[in-house]
Amino acid sequence: MREFRYERPTTVAEAIRAVAHDPEADFLAGGTTEVDLMKDGVLHPDLLVDITRLPLRGVRRNGTMLQVGALTTMEELAADHTLAERAPFVVEALLRGASVQLRNMATIGGNLLQRTRCRYFRDPAVPACNKREPGSGCEAVNSVARMHAILGASPACIALHASDLAVPLVALDAVVHIESEEGERLVPLTQFYLMPGETPDRENVLRHGELITAIDIPLPPEGTRSLYLKIRDRASYEFALTSAAVAVIMDGAVIKDARVAMGGIGTIPWRGFEAEEVLREAPATPETFRSAADGTIRDPFLVPGTAFKVELAKRTLIRALTEVTS
Amino acid sequence: MTTIQQPRILGAGVDRVDGPLKVTGQARYPNDVNLPGMAYAAVVRSTIPSGRIRRMDTTAAEKSAGVLEVITHENADHLGEAPATFIKNPQPPLQDDVIRYYGQYVAVVVADTQQNATAAAGLIEVEYDRHEALLDLHDPRAERIKDPWGEDTAWGDVRTALNRAPVVIDQTYTTSENTNNPLGLFTTLAAWDGDTLTLHDSNQWPNMIQQVVAAMFGVPTDAVRVLTPFVGGGFGAGLRCWSHIPLAVMAARHVGRPVKLELTRPEMFTGLGHRTGSVNWIRLGATRDGRLTAIEHESLTTLPLDGDEYEPCSSVSTWSYASPNVTARDQQVRLNIPWTNFMRAPGDAQGNFALESAIDELAWEVGLDPLEIRLLNYAEVDPKTGRPWSSNALRQCLEVGARRFGWSERNPEIRSMRDGHELVGYGVAGVSFFWYQQPCSAKVIVRGDGSAYVRSAVTDIGTGTYTIMAQLAAGLLGLEVEQVEMQLGDSSMPVGTAAGGSGLTAALGSAVHDACGRLIQKFVDLAGTDPFSPLANVPFEDVSVSEGRLFRRGEPTRGESLARILAVHGLTELSADGNSTPNSPDELGMTPAGARGARFVEVRVDEDLGRIRVARIVTVNDGGRILNEKLARSQILGGTVGGVGMALFEDTVTDKDTGRIANATFGDYLIPVNADIPDVHTEFVGEADAFNPIGVKGVGEIGLVGVAPAIANGVFHATGKRIRSLPITMDELLD
Ligand SMILES: Cc1cc2nc3c(=O)[nH]c(=O)nc-3n(C[C@H](O)[C@H](O)[C@H](O)COP(=O)(O)OP(=O)(O)OC[C@H]3O[C@@H](n4cnc5c(N)ncnc54)[C@H](O)[C@@H]3O)c2cc1C
Ligand code: SF4
Repeated sequence: MREFRYERPTTVAEAIRAVAHDPEADFLAGGTTEVDLMKDGVLHPDLLVDITRLPLRGVRRNGTMLQVGALTTMEELAADHTLAERAPFVVEALLRGASVQLRNMATIGGNLLQRTRCRYFRDPAVPACNKREPGSGCEAVNSVARMHAILGASPACIALHASDLAVPLVALDAVVHIESEEGERLVPLTQFYLMPGETPDRENVLRHGELITAIDIPLPPEGTRSLYLKIRDRASYEFALTSAAVAVIMDGAVIKDARVAMGGIGTIPWRGFEAEEVLREAPATPETFRSAADGTIRDPFLVPGTAFKVELAKRTLIRALTEVTS
Repeated sequence: MTTIQQPRILGAGVDRVDGPLKVTGQARYPNDVNLPGMAYAAVVRSTIPSGRIRRMDTTAAEKSAGVLEVITHENADHLGEAPATFIKNPQPPLQDDVIRYYGQYVAVVVADTQQNATAAAGLIEVEYDRHEALLDLHDPRAERIKDPWGEDTAWGDVRTALNRAPVVIDQTYTTSENTNNPLGLFTTLAAWDGDTLTLHDSNQWPNMIQQVVAAMFGVPTDAVRVLTPFVGGGFGAGLRCWSHIPLAVMAARHVGRPVKLELTRPEMFTGLGHRTGSVNWIRLGATRDGRLTAIEHESLTTLPLDGDEYEPCSSVSTWSYASPNVTARDQQVRLNIPWTNFMRAPGDAQGNFALESAIDELAWEVGLDPLEIRLLNYAEVDPKTGRPWSSNALRQCLEVGARRFGWSERNPEIRSMRDGHELVGYGVAGVSFFWYQQPCSAKVIVRGDGSAYVRSAVTDIGTGTYTIMAQLAAGLLGLEVEQVEMQLGDSSMPVGTAAGGSGLTAALGSAVHDACGRLIQKFVDLAGTDPFSPLANVPFEDVSVSEGRLFRRGEPTRGESLARILAVHGLTELSADGNSTPNSPDELGMTPAGARGARFVEVRVDEDLGRIRVARIVTVNDGGRILNEKLARSQILGGTVGGVGMALFEDTVTDKDTGRIANATFGDYLIPVNADIPDVHTEFVGEADAFNPIGVKGVGEIGLVGVAPAIANGVFHATGKRIRSLPITMDELLD
């Protein structure tokens, strides 16, 4: 048996200390990523620090903000009434992810930190994977890559960030609470993820031993309409080929303000700042939507299997904008 | 609707007799069996597609906790060759250092727990000398086998007919590789007792496993007992003696303990074969009004380096439609790939996709309704021999299906029907399935209380064999279903055939029929020796049976119960053996027809996004006499789901350079989920088939066939795009 130690602290400080002082330690939340990858032989922590007993569960309203404890499950957050009312696209993104069984285990913190589904990353028998073995190369670039990224990719790694939840959350400028032995720091989700560049093993700004304790979700103004559109081969229980999270404030047929983010296409959840620029104060017309889409999907890094995603992503965004504005 | 709506459903839809055992967890699948002192095995697989093992380092594994034994080609037992049974089986594993495909077993580790075995297996280091691998179907260096089974067929003069035909369709259709993926992980639990061996094993043919294992290990066949009372599905995956079976047997011999080897899901992808991908070239010649004058069908499929596979994709073109000129040819290419193997409707599923797509193209070309063209070219008799069919209700399948579906509401123009963003298309396909039957035997026993036992070595892979055979025996012996106890899945019982090829019901059913006839004869003979029996001097032909009693036909009071006859003669039971062999088409002067069917689907394609949805399916089938409508319907439904998978999702992807199956998990290999399956209407038509005494045709596979072309044809109607390769994915429909 491959042995590892297991601890289940009850305070945040203990949990952080346990991981910070052991370079081979990992946090364990719902385990739907961590345990999977351990079974596959991709992760080999020598210590698992189970954080599910920490008091980090639940959703609190804080003015125009929802503060979501990192250990809130996907199903729990999806059942939140305020969210359903004010930002339904977050609920839609949650409920279109994984399956009920998984969502009952999976936590919000864990969801944002889920690892890529790249088939070559997940099979240690494949020698070349820069994310798993820095410097070993990238098998996916020359192989079967339908579920891979086209934006933010580099020849060193084209792995997709597959979280659905993260897509509306980057659109809303959610903020991550990070706790370490040094104290707390706050990082906007839009600055939390790192593009692969030459170091695809570094996926985000977390340092070893840092714990996500909560996510702040700023609620969009009342009257905001939002929608999450997820396109995939089969009807459920699958990751996105492309997805779009859009939120708009309308003034008649004119878009006053807009938030746009896309999934299924980026090495990180892809915020569409350019699209938002195009949409703001623009009429809700097919031309506007097309130029918003063109503005979002720029300079893609393509391999044969992913080329179709350029047009699919644009049309996904156009469809989402058409529906949310009509 | 009145004339053709009279399906002769003779079998009541009684519930599965094994249902309560299954839902209460009492049915013991091979995985569920544990024996005292049992050890666990884990396999190590090659990570190159071709080459030799240069060096293996097993020291760390041997020292690892709980490890009892590590077996590689260096210390493996020398095993005998796999005998040539009806099908070829993999040669024994670990006999040399040659690697023929990625995923081939190179070692097995035995330990006290599964965890220890798996962990130790991960510690084995293998160095290889890698050779160049043949991985591409079109690689000119790969060996090509022409006419692999001597079944290439030709009649008439296709060349001339095609040259003269006013309308010609000439297209290539390809299908992807698919993996059977039964839910139950295949497991072998091997236990030696001296020189006798008991195997609890997941398979579809216990007697074949018995024979192969006995030959490999050099013991008499009856020294091996294979127990397979329940299997968690097969879809063809259990039709060969795969290498993990002798590995478990060898491991058990090495450690002197029972050894259990349960494959993991990724191992199931390389270890149990898969459906070959196929390329089909089809040329159809026709008159302007759509009458076929020529069909030419050539197929190309794959083979592993050291295997064989019967996968004649082109043969559907020799029996599906009437054509005076036909050529059907198959070729296979040997590659460094895991075994290709039977998967639900082997050959037919791929060949039918090609043929039914081509027929649809012809319909559009000549401006005929796709339903009409199929009826127009309906084969009234076997087009090859001119003989009558043993039964053939394809026409009824098409006509009834069209009505149930509302085909007449279809607007014949392409891109003419829409609903919001979605283009709506109607597609149809006909299915003429192959016929297959093998010899089989069974024993039927009536006990002192008048109840009966039916025994055969065959297994029930979940299709309902237990139930329909209990119904059949009950019907033939005049008993209630509850009075018949079934004992299947044990190689020590009367020799049985494979649960495959949709042929088990006819084979075993005919054997049970034979045994019941003989048994009643024995009862009549016995009664005849008793001068006081009301049946004394009644000739066998005049005896009827009902409610556990034999009586003189037309004189119900003149009779005696089976139980009483036994009691009078001081017997506790009476038994008879029954055998079946397929009839001879020559003697009967007819061609046995497999099941027939028609599929009607409504597809919806999002015009901008290319997303495909199947909105409705009507599937009408002729399975001859249906012994149990409920179970038959389940077979068709399951097959339909498989057909949707084949059409839209399933694709076993092999990496071009390494030969590694890239998507060998349920996260990556997509099969339909509930949300992908619409309302499916199933219906049976037809009548008892004349080719076997019980009139059945077998419905285990046909449900899958024809779904993919019906969907592709519907996609064409909806979008005007002809997709000639499976699976159909949205990227192909993005304009
Ligand atoms: C079959 C399958 C299908 C799926 N489909 C989808 C889908 O369609 N859409 C989608 O969005 N997701 C999908 N997922 C991913 C799933 O949502 C994630 O696995 C899940 O959200 C992870 O949460 P967890 O609590 O189980 O995390 P864990 O597995 O416990 O942890 C994940 C990682 O985060 C670290 N971690 C966890 N919590 C913290 C914390 N608070 N602070 C610091 N580090 C932490 C862990 O050390 C680990 O490295 C799918 C997963 C599976 C297995
Ligand atoms: S895409 Fe990234 S994760 Fe996948 S093989 Fe390449 S480096 Fe590894």
